[in-house]
Amino acid sequence: MLLTINNLNVKYGKTTALNIVTPITIEKGDRIGVIGSNGAGKTTLIKSLLGIVNYTGSIDSTITPADMAVHMQFNEYTDSMAVKHIMEAVLQTRIKKNAKLQELISFFEFETCLNKKYKVLSGGQKQRFTIILVMMQEAPLTFYDEVSSGLDFETRQKLVEKLVSWYKDKEASLCVISHYYEELEQLANKLLILDQGNVIAYGYKDELFKKYCGRAILIIDNNEKNELLTRKYPKLAAPNNLIVLPCNEEEVEAEITTLLIKNNINYKRSNNDIEMIFINAKKEFASGGVINE
Amino acid sequence: MNRNKVSFRMIQYELRNVAGNPFVHIFGVGFPILMSIIITKAVASEAPDGINIGEIVTSIFLGFGAIIPLATILMGYSSTCSQDIEKGIPLRMQLFGFSEKYTIINRLIAEFIYMTFAFVIYFIVGINALDIVRPVISGVIIYLICLYVFAAALFILAHAIANLVKKFGLTYMISMLFYFGVMILSGMMGITIDKLPKGVRFISNLLPSTYLNKDIYTVWVGKSYNYVPMLQSYIFFFAISGILVFLMIYRSRRNLH
Repeated sequence: MLLTINNLNVKYGKTTALNIVTPITIEKGDRIGVIGSNGAGKTTLIKSLLGIVNYTGSIDSTITPADMAVHMQFNEYTDSMAVKHIMEAVLQTRIKKNAKLQELISFFEFETCLNKKYKVLSGGQKQRFTIILVMMQEAPLTFYDEVSSGLDFETRQKLVEKLVSWYKDKEASLCVISHYYEELEQLANKLLILDQGNVIAYGYKDELFKKYCGRAILIIDNNEKNELLTRKYPKLAAPNNLIVLPCNEEEVEAEITTLLIKNNINYKRSNNDIEMIFINAKKEFASGGVINE
Repeated sequence: MNRNKVSFRMIQYELRNVAGNPFVHIFGVGFPILMSIIITKAVASEAPDGINIGEIVTSIFLGFGAIIPLATILMGYSSTCSQDIEKGIPLRMQLFGFSEKYTIINRLIAEFIYMTFAFVIYFIVGINALDIVRPVISGVIIYLICLYVFAAALFILAHAIANLVKKFGLTYMISMLFYFGVMILSGMMGITIDKLPKGVRFISNLLPSTYLNKDIYTVWVGKSYNYVPMLQSYIFFFAISGILVFLMIYRSRRNLH
């Protein structure tokens, strides 16, 4: 066990920003994706764990906040010097003398940026700069708060690929906040779903999928024809433009796919769709469901 | 890796931060040199016969030395500190494991190094361009102590202002007002203290820079001097800075939810 959060409550003025009732445990090596709408309490959770907001309750941990590394949503640095000087000061080392740092700089293709000031770096370069600093800390627990927000699709993809590849065989625990589910599909093995400060669900991705979506789902466009065609099958909560059909038995799945193919309807099959876990967990919680572990 | 210490690399970083502020060079190095040369030349050319020009020139030159900590530390530090706060840099550095305490110590050392560099340039130019009266060793030591203690008080004041205001624009405006206000009240802008209205003179006498401007020549040449009013001004100045720091701590505690 790396840390356990018990009865954590954070208030900003009179507003409760975060209220964790059921204990949440982060194990060594966990890759947790934290999802929730804006104001759900995601960043507040990180700030609590880092000890930079006041809270009631307790965080039992084998590590201190100083042992945690964090890539915040907004990371700013001084513009009065080249980023290589900031890097050397923060890491208390010389780039020329540190092979690991050189490896990271090269891994993130950051060599050409070293002599530039932070303000002239592009969004992607800025993110990579902080990521290098954070990774160099080699912390047992690292937080990434919306690491790819504001980046274009290609840069985002590339950045996530780099993160996945870097952490592939490493033991470090990660806590990744993101609104991009496809990122979490690559980075996370567990999910923590928050809504308006409450924990809706926490657990392994595949277990949560089984719990809220079943064995597998089939996703088709939501239109009159498809609605009519699939009217006899149960449906899961989904975005307005989609119809989601749970397939708890292979036979049902085969029946539906045959029907869809026969009618020349495009479909997507999934057994780990995070968006559907989120939507359906949120729906169940709103209808009086309990917090899940 | 222990980041909570006074480290050469962090001092180097902070020094780059100080030197990256162009206003520090303009107001902390260029302006005092220019002012001291122009004013001493102007005063010396208009001085009646029989007056000790060396005393006047040295007195003005030493007095203008007080502008250096005012510009480099009060203006320079408060503006970069507020800019950093506005951007969230102190929190970012804290999250990298740097404690606020050691960040401040490293910054103070860097500020003093830069201020020393500014003084060296100021004295090199001054000695070569002006007829500075030769000091006694104790006079030089006391002069430097007075300036560095004044600089320490200004550092505390600048830190408190930046942390209370938190906005670069407003902090910069306050420090500029303070910078020129202190210069006027200390008799550095052409109006001598005895020509100021009585109430304003009272405020002047509470500023250490006033004594650095009008009395330091006496100390410089080793004549006997009553240090009590000057000491009182330092105590007053530290007390004001201390109160602001207290307010800063109180406010930051209240703001932490």
